[in-house]
Amino acid sequence: MHFRSFRSRLVAVFLGLFTLIQATGYVVVAAFVRASAHQQVEDELRLASTLFARQLDDRSRQLVAATRLLSGDFALKTAVATADHATTASVLENHRRRVDADILILASLDGAVVADTLRPTQHATPFPAPRLIEQAEAGREASDVVAIDGRLYRLAVVPLLAPEPIAWLGAGFVIDDRTAADLRRLSGLQVSFVARDADRVTVHASTLAPADRDALARQLPVGRKAGRLELGGGEQMLRIEPVGQNVMVVLQRPLAEALAPYDRLLLILLAVAVAGVLLALLGAALVARRVSRPVLTLARGARRVAAGDFTTAVAIGQRDELGELAATFNEMVGGLRERERVRDELERTTRLKRFFSPQLADALSAGDESLLASHRREITVVFCDLRGFTAFAEAADPEEVMQLLRAYHAAVGPLVFQYEGTLERFTGDGLMVFFNDPVPCPDPAARAVRMAVAMRDAVAPLLDTWRRRGHTLGFGAGVAMGYATIGRIGFEGRFDYAAIGTVTNLSARLCQEARDGQILVSQQVQAEIELFAETKPVGPLVLRGFAKPVPVFDILGIRAAPTPRAVSRATP
Amino acid sequence: MRRWLALGGCAAGLALLLLRVPLAVSASGSLEAVVRDDAGQPLTDVVVSLTPPGAAPAAPRAGSAVMDQQNKTFVPFVLAVPVGTSVAFPNRDNIRHHVYSFSPAKRFELPLYIGTPAAPVVFDKPGVAVLGCNIHDWMVGYIYVSDTPYFAKTADNGTVRLTDVPPGAYEARVWHPRMRGEPAKTTKPITIAPGDPGQLDFVVALRPDRRPTAPSPHYDQRQQGSQRGGSRIASKLRRTP
Repeated sequence: MHFRSFRSRLVAVFLGLFTLIQATGYVVVAAFVRASAHQQVEDELRLASTLFARQLDDRSRQLVAATRLLSGDFALKTAVATADHATTASVLENHRRRVDADILILASLDGAVVADTLRPTQHATPFPAPRLIEQAEAGREASDVVAIDGRLYRLAVVPLLAPEPIAWLGAGFVIDDRTAADLRRLSGLQVSFVARDADRVTVHASTLAPADRDALARQLPVGRKAGRLELGGGEQMLRIEPVGQNVMVVLQRPLAEALAPYDRLLLILLAVAVAGVLLALLGAALVARRVSRPVLTLARGARRVAAGDFTTAVAIGQRDELGELAATFNEMVGGLRERERVRDELERTTRLKRFFSPQLADALSAGDESLLASHRREITVVFCDLRGFTAFAEAADPEEVMQLLRAYHAAVGPLVFQYEGTLERFTGDGLMVFFNDPVPCPDPAARAVRMAVAMRDAVAPLLDTWRRRGHTLGFGAGVAMGYATIGRIGFEGRFDYAAIGTVTNLSARLCQEARDGQILVSQQVQAEIELFAETKPVGPLVLRGFAKPVPVFDILGIRAAPTPRAVSRATP
Repeated sequence: MRRWLALGGCAAGLALLLLRVPLAVSASGSLEAVVRDDAGQPLTDVVVSLTPPGAAPAAPRAGSAVMDQQNKTFVPFVLAVPVGTSVAFPNRDNIRHHVYSFSPAKRFELPLYIGTPAAPVVFDKPGVAVLGCNIHDWMVGYIYVSDTPYFAKTADNGTVRLTDVPPGAYEARVWHPRMRGEPAKTTKPITIAPGDPGQLDFVVALRPDRRPTAPSPHYDQRQQGSQRGGSRIASKLRRTP
């Protein structure tokens, strides 16, 4: 459960990071793309307006040139100079056709219309563009876009020279919806020609629908060259370029149309980003699984170890940190296993050492404990104790008694282990040791006797000391040989390794019979040891629990050429 | 051609002689005038004239004068003549000219011609006739037709001297082709006394010179190239805003 959420967290973190990166990238790119799209549309409009202005300038110059050409006509001059108005009007109309202009207009030097091809019946009205006359008078090129009768004309004015100015000749071409449509064909932009008089804006010619023209007239920004506008076709980007004193051309492009390719690009970007996030999700899930699987394996292993299974080993086929962790885990479990084994061994050894010599205990602990199972075997049993101990114990101070016992045990204890006997029990001053079990040995009787003699030798100096203190104490031992049933007796937590049989009784009785310094052995024992021990028959003794008198021998000492182990103690 | 030239020169000299002879007889005064433009520069080609106030215009005199067309220019730029003078228009170029004037003072036309037209043009009304050439837009000339016999043109240094003027009160006036401004400034009263010449200073305000500039000497050769397709401009201009 815990690890599953760890995996989810891992996936979430991966996914979150990636989504953040993608989102940031998208936002940045989108903003950049949008800005550059706007910039591009603006540039496009500006370029188009520059080109338009240039083109209009060129055409204006051409118009001036054509008008000047017309003004050079001598017949026209003659008609004007002779104030022949009818002829003048006729010549004007003729010349208008020559250059295919839409209007030719002649004004006197003081600015009154003399003849006008557009309005032939009108006379002496003021010239529609007095500013142009002023410009022409000042010797400048006089051309402008002016409104005449509600229509826009590009009008050029030149003097009629004879050879000094005698009149002003204006020639013009109309700017109408066709003109706008032509320009739209060139540029693909919406084109409108707009006049501004005081605060009133009039759309004179346009490619726009009537409703949009009204909207344009209402919303046209004042005093700016670029802007935006809400029209029927959505938001429009505008570019306003003056083409005359009060007239400007408005170029516009629907923002949506201009941004369409960029929107497509953004859509693609978005799709890529989403695909990236999905891939990242997949990747994160895979990685998380790959990371968490060995962790889960380790956790399972740890649970098994916790349950006491030290054979656990986790297998992770990775060479990374997790692989190292698994290897360390395995090492750790191995260490635990080893410690457990050592602990078990130590425990068993400690248990065994109660009964056996350390060497034997080690041997037993290394082997199996089946040695200790109940069985029947011929063993040699040694009983020994101190004569007069009961009386001493009653008379002496407990401290003295303990002191004596400590010294006594310190003297005889090591000998039990030295001769590899099995210590069956301590009972105060008494001691029971047997041989040939649980580990068989070739000479149990010999070892038993040698041990008994060694004990007697070891105790002797102690006894002298205590006797000098006034205590009547002696050492006696009994050794018997025979079959016994051997095994663990007792209950869980307190087992003893005990030998049950007549031989035990016999050796105990012999020990009872022994006087100070005597080591009484049965006949069977005597037979085993007579080669190296000096014995003396004590005679058949009537012993409790035995129907017949039992032949008994006392061990006087160990002869020369003894076994190397007993040599130091064989000669008292 | 040269003969005509010599003849023209003689005629001009004779005309002047005829003008001066009667004035020289009586005790006379004179006028010295300096004309400058509004930038303070001496102004040439200014006609300075003296008119006795209230006097009837002098009777026309049948003199003659010459206005040359030389190197596609009217020479002189300004010709001052008394009323009634016949002016010849000899063409000294090897191309034709088409001299005309639509001025009220004298309206006439000498269609394309070479040499000197048979009949000189008689300027019988006072005023200024602006001369043009129909085929050379930059050619501009002026004939000042004076109704008083006392007039003269300023020299390059802007000075003029009118001699043999009978003493008395006069109205002095100046005229220049590019002159502008009120008559008060172009007219000044003066009394001419015998002996010391009367002194007058005029400052004439000028309009900018708007005459078309004359082409370079190679104009005719170059024009042949650049005039091609002139009529095509018109079709191009159709539907041009």
